[in-house]
Order: sequence, then structure tokens, then C-alpha cells
Amino acid sequence: MTSDSKIVGKHARRGVPLIDGIEKVTGRARYTADLDHADALVGRILRSAVSHGEIVRLDVTKARALPGVLAVITGDDCPYTFGVLPIAMNEYPLARGRVRYRGEPIAAVAAIDAETAERALALIELELKALPAYYTSDAASASSAVPLHDNKPGNVEREVHHQFGDVAQGFAAADLVREERFSCAEINHAQIEPHASLAEFDPLTGRLLVQTVSQVGYYLHLMLARCLNMDSSRIRVIKPFIGGGFGARVEVLNFEIITALLARASVGKVMMQLTREETFITHRARPHTDVRLKLGMKKDGRIVACECNVVQRGGAYAGYGIVTILYAGALLHGLYDIPAVKYDGYRIYTNLPPCGAMRGHGSVNVRHAFECLVDRMARELGLDPFVVRRANLLQAPTRTMNDLVVNSCGLAECLDKVERASRWQERIGRMPPGKGLGMACSHYVSGAAKPIHFTGEPHAVVNLKLDFDGGVTALTGAADIGQGSSTMVAIAVAETLDISLDRVRVIAADTAVTPKDNGAYSSRITFMVGNAAIDAAKRMKAVLIAAAARKLEARPEDIECVGEVFRVGSGDQSSLPFADVVAAALVDEGAITVKGSFTCPPEFQGGKHRGGAVGSTMGFSYAAQVVEVSVDDATGLITVDKVWVALDCGRAINPLAVEGQIQGSVWMGMGQAMCEETRYLDGLPAHASFLEYRVPTTMDSPPIETQIVESIDPYGPFGAKEASEGALAGFPPALVNAIGNAIGINIDELPVTPDRVMDALIQRRRQAKLASSMKAAS
Amino acid sequence: MSALLSKFRLVQPKTVEEAVDARLGHPGSRFIAGGTDLLVSMRHGIDSPDLLVDLSSIDELTEIETTITGVTIGAGVTIATLARNEAIASRYRALAQAADAIAGPGHRVMATVGGNLCLDTRCIYYNQSEWWRHANAYCLKNRGETCHVAPQGQRCHAAFTGDLAPALLIFGAEIDIVGARGRRRISLSDLYVEDGKAHLTLAAGELIVAVHLPSDPPSSAYAKIRSRAAIDYPLAGVAVALAASGTIISSLRVALTGTNSRPFLLAGTEEFSGRSVDEKLLAEIDRLVQKQVQPMRTTLTSANYRRVVAAALARRLTASLSAAGAA
Repeated sequence: MTSDSKIVGKHARRGVPLIDGIEKVTGRARYTADLDHADALVGRILRSAVSHGEIVRLDVTKARALPGVLAVITGDDCPYTFGVLPIAMNEYPLARGRVRYRGEPIAAVAAIDAETAERALALIELELKALPAYYTSDAASASSAVPLHDNKPGNVEREVHHQFGDVAQGFAAADLVREERFSCAEINHAQIEPHASLAEFDPLTGRLLVQTVSQVGYYLHLMLARCLNMDSSRIRVIKPFIGGGFGARVEVLNFEIITALLARASVGKVMMQLTREETFITHRARPHTDVRLKLGMKKDGRIVACECNVVQRGGAYAGYGIVTILYAGALLHGLYDIPAVKYDGYRIYTNLPPCGAMRGHGSVNVRHAFECLVDRMARELGLDPFVVRRANLLQAPTRTMNDLVVNSCGLAECLDKVERASRWQERIGRMPPGKGLGMACSHYVSGAAKPIHFTGEPHAVVNLKLDFDGGVTALTGAADIGQGSSTMVAIAVAETLDISLDRVRVIAADTAVTPKDNGAYSSRITFMVGNAAIDAAKRMKAVLIAAAARKLEARPEDIECVGEVFRVGSGDQSSLPFADVVAAALVDEGAITVKGSFTCPPEFQGGKHRGGAVGSTMGFSYAAQVVEVSVDDATGLITVDKVWVALDCGRAINPLAVEGQIQGSVWMGMGQAMCEETRYLDGLPAHASFLEYRVPTTMDSPPIETQIVESIDPYGPFGAKEASEGALAGFPPALVNAIGNAIGINIDELPVTPDRVMDALIQRRRQAKLASSMKAAS
Repeated sequence: MSALLSKFRLVQPKTVEEAVDARLGHPGSRFIAGGTDLLVSMRHGIDSPDLLVDLSSIDELTEIETTITGVTIGAGVTIATLARNEAIASRYRALAQAADAIAGPGHRVMATVGGNLCLDTRCIYYNQSEWWRHANAYCLKNRGETCHVAPQGQRCHAAFTGDLAPALLIFGAEIDIVGARGRRRISLSDLYVEDGKAHLTLAAGELIVAVHLPSDPPSSAYAKIRSRAAIDYPLAGVAVALAASGTIISSLRVALTGTNSRPFLLAGTEEFSGRSVDEKLLAEIDRLVQKQVQPMRTTLTSANYRRVVAAALARRLTASLSAAGAA
């Protein structure tokens, strides 16, 4: 009956609107801060005013005595660390003994209203003894620097030294060797929804309910059990609607645990809503990164050697840092076929808010340096940048030098598409003054093949229920954070069962109801949860076909199920509607519940070298983009006139959503490239508002022409790979390359703000003046 | 960290006189119109008035009146209304352009002409939360002893960033002010002084009620530099008015915002009368601007950039007005 159920099939190639879209655009969707908290206490956090110091005295007696205050907690109330990496949990929800960045939580209050909570904060007596503070990687790693963490001399959180292939030989064989330095400013996710958490502790049952903005409810569940020293069976974590994540909420965040601690201490319900400033201070985003990159190239554009040194300014605690510094090196591989790659990475502790994961985790700044340097070397060799990329393509299936598996690669087609769409070959070199074209490529993983919390369990589990009502309920722990993952699950189920999409409802991210899931990070959901959903739907289909076979007195293998009709042969004589088959299937056993799962086999889980699991995935997405810019040389202002982008996402399960994700990636890359930057003044965040942290406005947004390339991955669900991150990292280098093309100046710093462009222009004018005066003198 | 507003009383007078009366004897009171500036400061704990006198119900403040002698714009006219006004757009183009360049559409619907003229000066050390400023020992402009921008100096360097003022200064605008001692009219340029902590010459409780523009304005233009194409305050904003016969200048006026603690008319442009707009003259304008602007480290963008682009805008606007006039 319903041809529109053929989502992945040939009938509906444009995709469907997100299944929760209507709730969002009508305002019905309830985000954490919208949840009923009329009877909740108000939570507030006392934060450190200094960058680095010992807590000499902390007295909350007066605050506790204030009428209306139900709880005041400090580091004494939680002696357990938390963190995302089991090997690097060095952070307490509330500081114990020492503070390491301005804004670090020291104490928290739950009171009957906000005013009382704030009065209580003001009554807390705190004495700190200042320690030297470090705001740059260089300062923190100086030999005289005081370690932020006693077990990390030199403030090096982690060094990585990887070498694959013979780099020296590669450089010796190269026709051109160039080395350059790039500096990428720290940025923030700047998700629209400020952080919030609602926690409720029931003293009678000893149960804790936390509703919060988490991308990974499972991690939070684990950390709540750890930090509150509770039996994890007494905890429930629910993710309401979320206003963006981008990695900000992949880690468990201090305020989430603090809210739960307050709920238990006050024996009640506590609502914690952070200000925008606090949301920025919570941070966990892309670190300031210094990249020193050396490449060797043959005359034909073949890259024969790569040597890369990366220093990330990590902030005060470990967070995701080890993974970020490993990703930065691992994803030098997997985009091009490079025979020799050496990587040295350093993650440095500094007295700033901790960095973490952010869209394109670890790969973006290194990719920026790489694509810029390749472009400059191509110019030097007189090669077209497209030619250089094509000279270095990987041939899938293959295994990279660092043991990453590439099962499908549509980069060549991406290049063809953006080259054609932008009319590159007709226009490059013929642009009017001040206008330029630039291009770059990028890639990203479709989920980490080896999860951070490695348990040996499947990577994803989806439960399906079909009952008397004929509705299929999909239960998944995967957090829809706006990227459309619940819609993807619904489509995967509907498509596999060949039923109407609105017959499927998705219940997601409630640890009491949905099976455990590793959550929304590393673009894993479509690949892993999608495969698990298909697996579950296939099992359900088998149950339905068996029931139909009994009813139709045919063999199961002769039953065909098309558009909610089960039939034998052509079906003219013997067919059953979906409802009858469901009724038949329920007769003996009642409600049908099935489980599907997905596991990445060990051979995809990365190399045996230390840190080799990071970067491992079963499917890389690939992207190419062309950016056209105008540069105003009197003001340094840059206008992005147009972007052409193509993404190989294997198969677009929901093309409408894929297009949105590609545009979002490009746009976020544009923010990092042009205007977004965190700025600290002696450790104080001067950027912590949407006025000073400059996310591009609609007025700055160029037309983005997206194209989808479908390489049909052999392991992806319906051949799909990730679609939400791969196109981000190409924007900044494509922009910088376009500026180079427009005005002949190479910019080595991100973001390319107008003052940086102006400085470069002024410097060039000075140099030209100097050169001409020297010429005149000689 | 708080975003809590302090407790205050709100009154909504219907006339200017009532509004002025309402503030008598209330040193902790403030006028509020669109609130786009004041409310943010209140949430930052910079300002905590106990009485707000809401001007939005005073009809006489919301009129734009065109007469033989010029145009009178009520101080309560919203920026959005000003930007859409056809008489303004056709004759006082710089003003319409400035209005259109203010913040974002949501702000422009709320914000008013009077509010923009009285905009507080801004500084990266000042427009921060209470927690932030407390952690930084406050500053000379608010509760502190030191100007973090120029710690050796004696004055506050916070920058004036209103867009309308320069676009009014080039036309020689005057303003009507009502206070406890009655009504007075002054030149708009006399509203401002070069002091970030006290940049307005208004006495306590005085209210700007209207702006007067003379008739027969010369051709004009306004442009501002900001990081993004919307929302942001000007890093530098420049208005230019050029009266010329053929290519010969009869009068050239340039006004600036975003670079100093006050908006100001560039001094020395009267020397250009009788000359034609050529590269030499444009270079002289560039030099004049670079000499007279005093950008300090009040923004995250460098002061030198603001100096250079203020001059570049002045050149560019003068050249384009001249070219348009000659065409």
C-alpha cells in the first residue's frame, strides 16, 4: 500500500522531515529548563575567582544557616573523581584542596529561590592561596612551571609519538619539501541551549532521577553511581529535548553531578540552570592548537612524506584530552594514501577551562594545516589543487599505515562534483581582483570502532516492541540531539519491515527504559544504531512472516511482505493485511519483543600500537568543498560568496537530514574559520556571551550548494556512513586557500578575522615598500 | 554568575513632564525605553536601579515630523521605524543606513533613538558579569580603582558605540532636553565629552525628547566595521556628508563612533572646501582620522585595526559620495 514507506528504496529519495520536528517548531518540545520545576529548589554554584590556588579555608556555616537554604555542598561531600576516560579521571565535581581555573566549581547551594541561593553563595567564606597560573602551552610546559597535577611533570598530560613508514627516505625522495606552522584558536560549541539539569532524590525509595542535557546518558549514569556512591540500579537518567550538543555534552559535566549531589543533600528536587557565561566556562571544546607540519611532494603532486607536530592547550583537567591528541595524529591517515607519516603530539595542562570533544574531534586543526600546506605546495609546483588531491587518493578497500580500515571511499566523486559545480577549471586563475577560489578535502569516522568504555558488549542494541495496537515501538539509548538520529532509527525499522513510517515510534535515551547505548559522539549512531535497528527489524519481520505463513498455510520462504501486505506469490489469492498478521503473531506469545545489536569486529578496532584504537572505525565519510570569497583590502573584511560541498556518506538514509547536516558542518567550519574564538584575559573568559563569542549570523551565511555522494559502504546500514562531521574540517582550509588565491597572502592563523587580514596586508605593503626602496638604493 | 535583576519599581508615565517628575528625589532611578542596553547592564549587576521610569507610553516621543525647517524625530521613535521612514531614507541617507546597521532585527524593534544616543560606553573589562568583574577587581568605570585598559591613566577609556550619533552629527543635529528646570536645546555634539565614565553632559534626571535635523541636507552615507554582518557594535563607524558643486567640495563633514569615548566630528574638514575629491585629499582625510581617533584596548579586536579602518571608511565614503554626485 504505502510506497512512501520506501525511504531508502527508490521511491522517496528526498527524505523525510525529522519525526520530532513539529514539536520543535511549534514550541511544544520540552527542553530541560522547560520541565516542570515549580516545586524544585534552585541550585547555584560558587566558582573560583582565581586561576590557580590552594583552598586554605572554606567555611559554609553561615550559608547553611540562612533560612531557605536546604543544602550547601563542597568538595568534602564528594571524594570521587569523574571523567570520560577510565584512565584519566582527575577532576572532582567540586574542587578539593585546589582550584585550577577561573570558574571552577568550589561549592554549591540548593535554596527555595534564586535570590536566597545567591545570598547563600555570598555567605560562603573562602580563602585561597594563589599559585602561579599558565595560560599558554609554552608557559605551562616551561621547566620552571608548577605542575597542575602532581603526577604530570612539565604539565604534559600525554605525549604521542607515532611513526609509520620511512619518513626520512620519503623526504629524500621528494621534489619539494616545505614546513610551516599554523595556529588555530580555541573555540566553543556555542550550542543554543544553555546547560541545565533537573535532579530528584526520593528518600523513601533511595532512587535518583536526573533529567539533563547529556549526549550520553549512559556515561552520566555510571558517573552518578560513582560520585554519589550509589547502586546504579537506583539511578535513572533521561534526556529531554536537547538544543544542540556538538560534543559539549559528550562528557559528564560537573554541574550534572553537582545537581544530583544537591538533590540528595537537600532530600528533594533541584533545578540547575547555568547562565550563558557558565555554559561557556564549562567548555570541553576544541583546544587552541599549534601545528608544525612538514610535507614532501613529488612533481606530480604525490605526497611521499608527512611529519606533524601538534601541541594542544588542554585546559586544567584531562577530560577527553588523550583521545583528542590521539585523533589529531591518527586522522592524518585515512584521507590520502601517504607512505610515510610521523606524528608527535603533546597535550598540555593549563589554567583554563578544560577542553574536550567538538564536532570533527581532533581532526579539524590538523586537517586545516595539511590542506593549506598542500595547496601552497601545489601552487609552488604549478599544479592544480584538484590534481594534487587526485594524485593521492586511497583505493578502497584498504588498510592504512596505522591500521585503520577504509571500506569505501567516494572522495574522487566528491572532487569531480565540486569541481564541476563551481566551474573551477574555467574560473581558477581568472577571478576578478579581490576574489578567489579555494578548495580542500576532509573525512571523519562513523563511530569509534573501539568504544571508550570497552566492556565487550555490542556497540549498539535496539529493542523493538509490537503489540495489539499494531504500532512498532523502537527503544534506543541513542540521544537525538537535533541531528535526527531518532528519525534515522524509525526509517531503518520502517524500511526493513516495509511498513509506514508513522507506524513506528521511537523512545530514546532513558536509562530505565532503553537499552544501553554509547550515545551521540564520533558520528556513531547511524552506522551502529542503524545496523542494530535493522537487525532488530529483521528479527521482528521473521516473527511476522512465520505467523503469516501459518495463517496462509505456506512456507515462510514463500511469503513476501510488501507495503504492509503479506502475500504468497502475486498475492491475488492469498494475502493478509499487516493487522491480521500482527493479530496472528500475538496469539501464542502476546506482545512481540525483539532485540537487535551491532558489534564492530576486532579487525576494525585499530592497530596494536599504543593509542591505536583511536581513529578506528568501520566507515570513513569523505568530503570535498570549494569556497569562493571576496576580500576587501581596505578593511580586511572577508565575504564568503558561495560554497560548493560534496559528501560521501555511503548512502543517504534521509537525504533531507543529510543535506542539513552538511550545511551545518560547513557553517560551523565557517564560524571557526572566520570569527569564533575564545579569549581569556588572565584566565577570565572575555568571550563568554553571544555578543563577544561571534557565531556567524544569517547575514554572514553564504549559499551552500550540497551534493551527496553514495559509495554504498559494505558494512553500513543500507550502505550508510556518517554525515554530520565529515564536511566541517574542509571549510577553514578552503577559505584560507581562497584568500590566498584572491590576494596572494597565506594566513597561518585561525580565525581569519579582519584585523588579522589587515595585519597581513599592512605587512606586505611594508615589505613591498622596503623592497622597492632597496631596489632604488642599489 | 547571576542573571537576576535587582528589585525595582516600574512606573509608566503618559507625558514627558510626568516622566521627569517621577525621577525627582530618586537618585537611584533610571529611564527605560527599549531596554536593550540597560537590561543587559542590570543583569550584569552594573546598574541596579530601584525605580525604572518607562518611557514607552509617552506618545509625544514617538513622532517623526517634517516641516520647512527640517525634521524632528521623537526620542522614543524605534530604530526599526527610523530605518523604514522614507523621508529619512531619501534625504538623510546616512541616518537610515546607521539605523539599519544597528544590532539585529529584534533589537531594532525595541530600541529607540534616545536610547541609542544615550548608549552607555562599552569596554571588554566593563560589559561582563558581576562574578567576572569581581574576579578582576572591578574597574574605574564601575566600583573599581583601575582602568585595566590604561592602568597608568586617570580616566576611563570605554568606547562610545552608538551608530546614530555620527549620522546625526554630520547634519548638525540639535537635541531637545527636558529636566526639572525645564526644556533646553543644545547641539548634539555638546551632549558628549571624552570620558568613558561620564560621557554624557545630561544632568541627573534629564531626558532627551527630540532630535532636530536641518532641512536641505547634503548627500550622506554611513558605514561601520564589525566582525559579523549583524548584531555587533561598531569597531569603527563613520558618517560622511558631502555638499559639492560638480567635483568641487562646498562642505565636507565626517563623524566617527566606536573609536573614542564619544562620537565626534572630525576637525579640520572645513579646510577642504573649494577643493575637489582626489587621491591627495583622500589621503589627507585618512591622516586626519588616524590622528584624531583614539581607539584603546576596549575590544577584543586590536586598537590599531580600528584606527586604520576608521580612516579607510572615511576615505571610501567620501570617494563614493563624490563619485555618486559627479555621476
